[in-house]
Amino acid sequence: MSDGAAALQVQQLLELLAAVTSLSDEETAVQAAVERAAQALEAEVCAVLTEGRVVAAVGFPAGTVPFSDLHAVVVRERDMLEVAGLGTCRAMSAAWGGSHPGDLVIARWGDDSFTAGERNLLRGMARMLELTLTMLRTLHSEKEMRARSELQAAENAQLAESLGEQQRLLLRLSVIQRAISRREPLEQILETITVAAHELLGDEIVGLWVRDPEAPDRAKLRSTVGLSINRLPSLSLGEAGAAGEAMRVGDVVVLDGYDHASPAIRDLTGGQLRASMAAPVHESNRIVGGLLVASYRPDRGYTAKDKQTLRTFAENVSLALTDAHTMNMVHLAVHDTLTGLASRGLFLERMTEQLATGELTALLFVDLDRFKEVNDTLGHAAGDQLLVVTAERIRSELRATDVAGRFGGDEFAVLLRGVSGLADAVAVGERLVKSLSEPTLIAGQRVNVQASVGIALSAADGEVAAELMRRADIAMYQAKRNGRNRCEVFTGEMLLEFAAGT
Amino acid sequence: MGVGRSTAVGSRSAAVEAALDAVTGPAPKLLMVFAAIGHDPTELLAGLREAAPGTPIVGCTTHGEIAPGGPTDGTVTVAALGGTGLTVRTAVAEHASGRQRDAGAEVAATAEPLADQPYRVLMMLTDGQIRDQESILRGAYGVLGAAVPLFGGASADGWRMTGGYLFYDDRVLTDAVVGIAIASEAPMSVSVKHGWDKVGEPMIVTSAGDGRVYTLDDRPALDVYLDRLGAPPEAYTDEEAFKQFALPRPLGVQRRSGVEARNLSTEVDLEGRSIGGGSAIDHGGLTWAMTGDEQSILAATDEACHAAIEGLKGEAPVGMLTFSCAALRAVLGDEGIQHEGARLDKWADGVPFAGFYTYGEIARTRGIDGFHNQTLAILALA
Repeated sequence: MSDGAAALQVQQLLELLAAVTSLSDEETAVQAAVERAAQALEAEVCAVLTEGRVVAAVGFPAGTVPFSDLHAVVVRERDMLEVAGLGTCRAMSAAWGGSHPGDLVIARWGDDSFTAGERNLLRGMARMLELTLTMLRTLHSEKEMRARSELQAAENAQLAESLGEQQRLLLRLSVIQRAISRREPLEQILETITVAAHELLGDEIVGLWVRDPEAPDRAKLRSTVGLSINRLPSLSLGEAGAAGEAMRVGDVVVLDGYDHASPAIRDLTGGQLRASMAAPVHESNRIVGGLLVASYRPDRGYTAKDKQTLRTFAENVSLALTDAHTMNMVHLAVHDTLTGLASRGLFLERMTEQLATGELTALLFVDLDRFKEVNDTLGHAAGDQLLVVTAERIRSELRATDVAGRFGGDEFAVLLRGVSGLADAVAVGERLVKSLSEPTLIAGQRVNVQASVGIALSAADGEVAAELMRRADIAMYQAKRNGRNRCEVFTGEMLLEFAAGT
Repeated sequence: MGVGRSTAVGSRSAAVEAALDAVTGPAPKLLMVFAAIGHDPTELLAGLREAAPGTPIVGCTTHGEIAPGGPTDGTVTVAALGGTGLTVRTAVAEHASGRQRDAGAEVAATAEPLADQPYRVLMMLTDGQIRDQESILRGAYGVLGAAVPLFGGASADGWRMTGGYLFYDDRVLTDAVVGIAIASEAPMSVSVKHGWDKVGEPMIVTSAGDGRVYTLDDRPALDVYLDRLGAPPEAYTDEEAFKQFALPRPLGVQRRSGVEARNLSTEVDLEGRSIGGGSAIDHGGLTWAMTGDEQSILAATDEACHAAIEGLKGEAPVGMLTFSCAALRAVLGDEGIQHEGARLDKWADGVPFAGFYTYGEIARTRGIDGFHNQTLAILALA
């Protein structure tokens, strides 16, 4: 072999190496290799066979690669190859081993047989192809491993993030549920929920819409983050955006954009809202409102997880509202519906509890003088109004620990807990007489009524409620008998007089 | 085959005149037009359509038109193919840049149905602005295999370097490949030759990529090449001076059966000191500076003509397509190309021939490569 031919073959090996190593996947590297091998040997045909099939070939018309002919060259059965349209070509092959063995086959048209140098070159090329393919496979599996570990890391991060979110949600829910169980004021609980939804879902706007009690097909904003309630009157459900829709369909509703928003919503949000989502809120299994989150961000979309979070907050709103409703019903059952004072039953219960403590307790019976006249002349509505005013005046003269009750008609009772002596009770009684004698404006008329107050103090040796009431009642009659608009303290003489019927 | 040429100034009338001269028999099967860049392409096509209604049209713009009587500039030259025993099918692949291989495969498919004919050639006219034209040939080779010779050329623009056009029926195209499958009962033969000789010792490509050579013998490729040829100082710093210097001095790349010439004149990078060959020159390759003169180039003209005619297996040629490289004009000069034309006339011996000065010649008969620079490529038809 001449120096020139040797140099050329070294060059051709280097060119093949440059060509195949610049490619990043096996398929294109093998295709480049067959083209370079054909080019180097000025051959018309080149093919690579691995695992019993042709993985790349040049020189045959598309779709006509003759596997069996190529294989015959590989197993040295032939050193010629019939190439369609070209004729019989001289052929040779070189094999490589390793974990993925294969063969490189070359066929060249013309009279020149392959030189020893060219056979060596083909063997070198086959060996180089083996090394390249091994390298590519190693790189490929490394890349796959890296991709797998990156995927795992991403999944872990996502899990951690999701656990973190879950924890934040649970933390807020526990705050909300503690507020509900402690019966904190409803408005405060609702605000806690809207703020929590704002913080956890990250939307700029959170709003709790509730059904207007006077117009059930309309809703009002009751609690909100990011919106001014003052500017918004009650809206029909159709105008109330996602919240109204959620109230209508009874499920979570997501709206994209606000192209069809009502003028009121558009005005409220400056026409900039891009996405909103709302969940229905229930009270004792009735839909009474909708909890809404909304965003100005154009890329805001709501995931299934976001929907679930909102649903959870809405359920807590439902819980708070239902609890408040129940409390209200309980309150109504034991309180006088007109004046809100304790009913006779509740008053007696409270009194029994108080007497059991052994503390010195005063009971005051209050009876309006000439109430019947007001009722008869100005009507029952005016009479009711007078009773409401009376209840307010009584309450305003008492401490928070004292109990006021209405026993029916114009009869009221007051329980003073832990008084230090009769003087305390008398002072309250006199204040009541004075306060209730103040004129009242009812139905456009100035009404003057007065009150008679009977006072009784609990005995030191334990006493039943009924006995104390009887004594206060006697004292009250004594006050009436003594000229009304005054208070009297029960005495033993009164009892005797009462018994004598005088 | 018939050839007509018109020097008329009006594009339409020139086309009519050339086409009428070219069409010698009834019902031509193809009009192949080679037109100077100055012609109005739309008018030109209208003229061809008028002269030969219904005949398929292919063609391109040139850096000089070749026909009997010597090469010319500014003309419309038309070859009409026809006659019994000849079948022609045409195809086009558009938006070829970035998908050269697919474009080559697409136009090659037009030759597939002609497989029952004894002789086939796939001719391709490409937009000279497309890079990596080898891949167009690889795409065609992948479809047709070794059985079908490839022939053709890249459109030129009279050295304006703003880009030429391709013609395909009634359309004027750029960034396209026009394919012409020619099948015949008589032999056809493709040849290609260049007239360059190696100068001095080889240079090893020590860094290359994307069709560019960055270093030769571990030094900036531009300086090594210019040093080797003793270039004037301005060629080191001025792009135009480099181009004028490099046009007659291609870079030779060693192949098994000889040295291929690569034109370096159009893709120099004076800042990066690298050279571009328009086609791949690989890391590790052996290269030579090459020179030539009128004598060596005209000798190659003779060799190419001889080989093409000899390839007809004893049958007499009835026509030839002759595609010569635009860069050869820089060596030959205006007088030299007339000498080249005279050689072609002598070899044709009265048989019509037509062609143009190209921005790249296509001729694959052996192996899988076939895109050339600075050569004369000939398709002879018997």
